[in-house]
Amino acid sequence: MTEPTSLLQGTLDLLILKTLAAGEMHGLGISRRIEQVTHGAFQVKPGSLFPALHRMEEAGWLTASWGESENRRRAKYYRLSRAGRRQLRAETEEWGRISLAIAMALHAT
Amino acid sequence: MKPSPRIRSLWRNLFRRSRVEVDLDQELRAYVDELAEEKRAAGMEPGEARRKALLETGGVEQVKESVREVRAGALLETVIQDVRYGARTLFRSPGSTAAAIVALALGIGASTAIFSVVNAVLIRPLPYGHPERIAVILHGGSQPVSPANLAAWRKASRSFRRMGAAEGWNPNLTGSDRPENLSAVRVTSEIFSMLEVPPLLGRFFLPGEDEPGRDHSVVLGHGLWSRRFGADPKIVGRRITLNGEPYTVVGVMPPSFHFPPFWNQSAEIWAPLALSPRFASQGESLRVFGEIAPGSTRESAAAEMASITDALERQTPGTNRDVRVRSLKDTVVGNIRPALLVLFAAVAFVLLIACANVAHLLLARAAARQREMAVRTAIGASRSRITRQLLTESLLLAGAGGLGGILIAAWGVHALVAASPGAIPRVATVALDARVLVFTLAISFATGIAFGLAPALALSRRDLTEALREGERGSTEGGARSRLRGFLVGSEFALALVLLVGAGLMIRSLLALQAIDPGFDPRGVLTMVVSVKGTTAEDPARRAAFYQQLLERTRALPGVQAAGAINHLPLAGDIWGWPFEVEGRPPLPAGETQRATYRVVLPGYLETMRVPLVAGRGITSKDVVNSPRVVVINEDFARKHWPAESAIGRRILLAEPERPPVPAVVVGIAKNTVRDLWSSPPSEEMYLAYLQTRSYLESDNSHLQYLTLVVRTGGDPAGLTGAIRGIVGALDRNAPVSEIQTMESVVAGATGQTRFYVVLLGAFAGVALLLAAVGIYGVMAYSVSRRTHEIGIRMALGARPGEVLRLVVRQGLVVALAGTAAGAAGAAGLTRLMGALLYGVAPTDLFTFAVVSGLLIAVAVFASWLPARRATRIDPLSALRYE
Repeated sequence: MTEPTSLLQGTLDLLILKTLAAGEMHGLGISRRIEQVTHGAFQVKPGSLFPALHRMEEAGWLTASWGESENRRRAKYYRLSRAGRRQLRAETEEWGRISLAIAMALHAT
Repeated sequence: MKPSPRIRSLWRNLFRRSRVEVDLDQELRAYVDELAEEKRAAGMEPGEARRKALLETGGVEQVKESVREVRAGALLETVIQDVRYGARTLFRSPGSTAAAIVALALGIGASTAIFSVVNAVLIRPLPYGHPERIAVILHGGSQPVSPANLAAWRKASRSFRRMGAAEGWNPNLTGSDRPENLSAVRVTSEIFSMLEVPPLLGRFFLPGEDEPGRDHSVVLGHGLWSRRFGADPKIVGRRITLNGEPYTVVGVMPPSFHFPPFWNQSAEIWAPLALSPRFASQGESLRVFGEIAPGSTRESAAAEMASITDALERQTPGTNRDVRVRSLKDTVVGNIRPALLVLFAAVAFVLLIACANVAHLLLARAAARQREMAVRTAIGASRSRITRQLLTESLLLAGAGGLGGILIAAWGVHALVAASPGAIPRVATVALDARVLVFTLAISFATGIAFGLAPALALSRRDLTEALREGERGSTEGGARSRLRGFLVGSEFALALVLLVGAGLMIRSLLALQAIDPGFDPRGVLTMVVSVKGTTAEDPARRAAFYQQLLERTRALPGVQAAGAINHLPLAGDIWGWPFEVEGRPPLPAGETQRATYRVVLPGYLETMRVPLVAGRGITSKDVVNSPRVVVINEDFARKHWPAESAIGRRILLAEPERPPVPAVVVGIAKNTVRDLWSSPPSEEMYLAYLQTRSYLESDNSHLQYLTLVVRTGGDPAGLTGAIRGIVGALDRNAPVSEIQTMESVVAGATGQTRFYVVLLGAFAGVALLLAAVGIYGVMAYSVSRRTHEIGIRMALGARPGEVLRLVVRQGLVVALAGTAAGAAGAAGLTRLMGALLYGVAPTDLFTFAVVSGLLIAVAVFASWLPARRATRIDPLSALRYE
């Protein structure tokens, strides 16, 4: 088995934005969701998750509020702001362009 | 408008920090709880689930720290935190912090002040258009040249575009309420063209203005213009009276202008030098300046001049001996270069010592904080964070030192200029040099950073557990670092020794100088120059009567014991030679002359100065024009020409221009006195009677129209000034009085330069000694505190206090001895460079070396004894329990 791929910062941002597009979520939820949708390819450690969340909140892409978790515990929930949605659209487009370009470069002979 | 989210977060992070922190803490705790809950739901036992969850999170504190680092204003916040924490740590050990700051401040301040002086005097170009193209042509590099030579050189040389000359002049400015004797220079018209300094007002002399009859114009210096003419902007074209003759002001120079830069430096007015009628004269009175022609160099010009002067010397022996072409700059700084370089070296040493001191203080601090750093790393501080923190501390230290340094430098430049004897050229232009200050600040900051950071970096690379354990054990420190500190302190001792030897040698020189017997008694004597130029007493028929009346009325003043007058005071004035032959001796070979320094005196001079007569009598009021000419010679003169017999009654023949020589009878022999320089050996001198010397009684040459009055009183000599000025004014209200000084201050001025160097080097050496002592004390105190445990064991095992004392002192002594030995070797090589500053003591004077080494070692023993004594008071039991 190979080690889980390490996440580039930009990639992590995109994954978090995409994850939160489905609705508000707390830290552990985000990390579990990413693990799930990438079939375990990406495991997000708290040491990179929380700095990313706080950075994106300060950038105004996310808003945070305290709520109650499925286990009836207090937890901090993150939600996409309007700026966050714009950012998600822009980053998705950018990612598409880059991955297309890289795919072409890799298949060129 | 809503503030942007980033600004809002910055606000929150900086001013609602505790809220933000609590929030983060709760968020992470919730995360861990959630994770543990997840694991328990999967069937894990609760305690185990929690432990796993914490482990997976990877250290709550580290996560917090990494979140803090991405926050808005994170850098600003950590900087503020670091500064606050750094200041607190520094204040926690005020002694070593103060020592480091004082060391830095002294090092920075002293070196900046001295370097500012060195820069202004030695390095900065002279304030002329192309100073590097100007050469000075003089006999032996310093003695004046005759007009005949200048005329011949101008004709023969091709390497100079122009050649001009300057001659000193002391005209009396009259025509206003306060007559004044001015320091002036007469220059040929080439000089100002050579200097290329634009005048503030008006113009320079035009070619042709240096011809007789057209030469009555002057250019004023800025100082004189402001002082005497109220900085009148319409001064150009006005007439002023110099020596009773009208001169037209044609220009005013800017404040920065001064010329000449190496002699007559106080000149503040310039007039044309009409040289053409004197081109046959062999009288040596000119300083010759040449502007090197394009395409020539100073070397080629010097070579050309050498061949020209060799040919001229063969033609007329004695006229062109040892003519040297030196650059203007060498001529200006040549004499004080060694002194300034020695001072500069001293400063560099103090700066090095200061840096070494700071370095080992920081090393000791770093070693003592190993454990603190290890703990901080363990609880989540990143390496860059710790580095930043230590950097902040070092910068705080260096910043405080730098601030102190700037203050000391500003004060030091001021003090140096104030304390410097007049002989340092361009000293008035010295100012605190910003570039130098930046340079020394950079050096000390670099030291602070290098020695503050290096140990921290080494530490953070090391294994944490080992660092923690070592810190706990309180063991003796790592060998490499203690060796480095020993080396630093040893170097301090070596440098301090060199400085102390330098200062010691200067002190011995000063003592030797002060032991010189000047041959007269300077106490209670007031002197002043009184000139008759431009007054009614200039009339040869009245001149002698003027001075005799002046002396008579002065002697009648209450408190005056004696009064006399002389043309040139020893030490303060010029020394002029008079050619003579001894009657009855074979004539000298053709072209050779023999001269003796002559002094022209009015009766009462020798008595007033208390120059003892060895034989015969002095000059009296009966020695007048129509009585036989008399001369009083000094011991050297008598010994040289009449070694075996009495000189009294013998005759010498005084040469007279265009007249047969005049015989003079030796009537007395006076004790030798010092000449123009304090330390120069005495040589042949003779005293002639003013009342018999026609040139002084009749000449209309201004340099023969003044005398220096000497007055002895039982009280304060300076108190007589007003009364004597009154007498002069009553005799002729236009007669100027100048150079009023006590003979004691003349003597003090003569040794002033050495005294100045003694003070400076002494101060540096004192600082160096202090810093070295602080250094070794710091190292020993630190070593003792690290060895508390070991010393406790030794004492528990029965070591007596004396043995512990010896143990510690020996350790300090080894470092000091090694440093002193290295320093002695270095000093033996370096003090040779200061030979030119020394008098009566060899640069490798064994006595100085021995005393200084002994002093340093004593200081080392004392500085190590203090902590050693503390070590002996250690209670073995508590020492074992220590930490």
